[in-house]
Amino acid sequence: MTATSQHGFHPDAESLSAFSEQALGERERADVLAHLAVCGRCRQVVALARGAADTDVAAATAPPRKTVEPTAWWKQWRFVWVPAAVAVAFAVTTISVLIEHADRHGPDVKIAEQNPTPSTAPPATSSPTEQPEAVPPTAAIPAPPPAHAAKHAPPATPEPMPAPAPPAVAAQMPPEPGAPETRAIDQAEVTREAQPLSHAEAQQAPPGLPAGTMGSSYTQPAAAAWETEQKQAEQQRQADVDTSHMRVLKHKAAPAAAHGANQPAPAGATQTDTVASAPPLQTQPVTFAEPAPASASNSLWEVTGPVKPTPLPSGLAAVSIASGGHFLLAIDKAGALFLSKDRGATWERVATQWTGRAVAVRRQAHVHGALYAAPAAPTGTTGGSSPDAGLAPLPTEFFELSNDKNQTWVSTDGRTWTAN
Amino acid sequence: MAPTESVASAAEPGIPNGTGAPDCVPDRSLDRALATELWRSCDAAGWGLTRDEFDQILLDAATAQNFGLPEAALATPKQQRTFFHGMCVADLALARACARGNERAWEYFIAVYRQPLTRAAIAISGSETLGRDLAEQLYAELYGLNVREGQRRCPLLSYRGRGSLLGWLRTTLAQRHVDHYRRTRREEPIEEFDAPAPDPPPQTLPRELSLLERAIEQTVGGRQAEERYLLAAYYLDGQTLLEMARVLGVHEATVSRRLHRAEKEIRKQILKHLQRSGMSRPAAEEALGADPRDLEVNLKKLLQNSQSEAFQEQAAS
Repeated sequence: MTATSQHGFHPDAESLSAFSEQALGERERADVLAHLAVCGRCRQVVALARGAADTDVAAATAPPRKTVEPTAWWKQWRFVWVPAAVAVAFAVTTISVLIEHADRHGPDVKIAEQNPTPSTAPPATSSPTEQPEAVPPTAAIPAPPPAHAAKHAPPATPEPMPAPAPPAVAAQMPPEPGAPETRAIDQAEVTREAQPLSHAEAQQAPPGLPAGTMGSSYTQPAAAAWETEQKQAEQQRQADVDTSHMRVLKHKAAPAAAHGANQPAPAGATQTDTVASAPPLQTQPVTFAEPAPASASNSLWEVTGPVKPTPLPSGLAAVSIASGGHFLLAIDKAGALFLSKDRGATWERVATQWTGRAVAVRRQAHVHGALYAAPAAPTGTTGGSSPDAGLAPLPTEFFELSNDKNQTWVSTDGRTWTAN
Repeated sequence: MAPTESVASAAEPGIPNGTGAPDCVPDRSLDRALATELWRSCDAAGWGLTRDEFDQILLDAATAQNFGLPEAALATPKQQRTFFHGMCVADLALARACARGNERAWEYFIAVYRQPLTRAAIAISGSETLGRDLAEQLYAELYGLNVREGQRRCPLLSYRGRGSLLGWLRTTLAQRHVDHYRRTRREEPIEEFDAPAPDPPPQTLPRELSLLERAIEQTVGGRQAEERYLLAAYYLDGQTLLEMARVLGVHEATVSRRLHRAEKEIRKQILKHLQRSGMSRPAAEEALGADPRDLEVNLKKLLQNSQSEAFQEQAAS
């Protein structure tokens, strides 16, 4: 045995340490183990040294303390990337939603852009007197009003509007003869696209834009429409409720439209536009444009420019509006009819002369040969000259009111109504 | 088998070295290439050791253990390489450099080992104060403040590279602490002394008890060293199976199995001894169930008397 001893016959510290670390040979290990079997002191030494080593190892393997080390600036700002990424993700999501929202309104624009030809091409059945109401195919800008109309109203669109879709595109979408209602709506929308804007659109026009350029709100980039996103979202809910109601009414009114239009109606003849895809009702959503007649024998139907109606006296939203020249007829949600002779500046309520609840008012063109019960004090030009007693041919243009039972009344001045 | 080129052949034989190691012996020489490799790997030059001093340190460590081979056996270069690769040569060079008083070596030693040594002392003593005192005392000794016969005596000179230097330091601390505890425990006054109750008369016959005592002595004394260590560490020292497993480098379950097997073998051997003495099997089992307090067997004393011959010879020398 070569191990030296510090205390006589005990193995030295190196032998005990090497034994604990399994660093001894077989022979030396056996000698040390034999000694440990009989020496309590060395067993205690080995046990204490081994325990201290295990404690040190446990401390060394413990997770080290995080020291503050100088790091690069991008590492110091690494936590900023998290909110930045969230903000970018939110922005992208918002843009996607808005684009999708804009696409949802896109069909109206596309229809309006792709159907300029039917509106510009007068139907074969149009009377010669109605020809001037047609819009020229290339008229991105509405046709200038006639000289006599220019006396009453300024030019509607001082700035050019986007050009409509080429005729080739419109030719791919022929009108459907079996769906007069749809055709009428399309024509109204096309007219709205090509004609000067109605009072409702003029009212919605931003201050910086002329009233006639409001039609570009359907074709302007989606980013511009986002500015009114919050307002439209709130109004959209109300419009959805009214839309469902008006769909029912339109469905009921379809036979009536067909009844009065056995022959194809001239372009722009259907002057009533429901609020199916129109802006909210609170802002006068019924937006149809009145074509500028080439010649107007009756000043009632003379279009002198966009109207700017004020809110109805009842304070309720209008569900249907019809206009004829300076005249405006509006039905509020309660079914009350209001008449304005100054393009919506002032309103007066029309006494109820119909049954049920008025739900729609529209401007209709005349039907040749059709007669109607002449009012007591007709204001029409030909009333009373009919050989049939109590019946008179309908005037060239008149207002038609429908109640919730799909019954109609007609009026030439908007004040006196006669059952049709 | 002599190496092709050796440190001993290059050095002048018979010149005593500074470490008190025996002179270079031709048949205990080092492989020159291996010594160069070790010289470069442990950066001994950084500790202020010359190449000759480093070679002499290696030769002293190898000669003291004969490269881990039996005495009178010559080590081949491969055996030398195996031996030195099993040693902590870098720690050995650092310890010798510190023992020589090299400042750079001491700075490194303090930077690397001071904190672990303090933690080990605290863990061994179980006290922050005692641990720091124990570590500081050892530091003073390591620095060579103790002078014996006009020379600085540095305990680091007793380190020969077997095992890590840190393990050696921990074991040295443990030795100091155990020796101090054993010394001071004898000086502690006995606070209370309860007079033991008078022993009841033994139920087993004295002859059977004497046979049992003799059988226990023969059985325990004849067990292997590892079994005796397990029995002593578990029953006398009260160590846990985990502590014993860490010392032996085996799993805790292995220690448990070996301990259980040793107990069964000892019981079996005692029964055999009793039966050889003329007792029947039932009588032997009945005698084995005797009250231990009736036995005059001191297991601790029995184990102390059964020391290995190697250390007995060391003690005698």
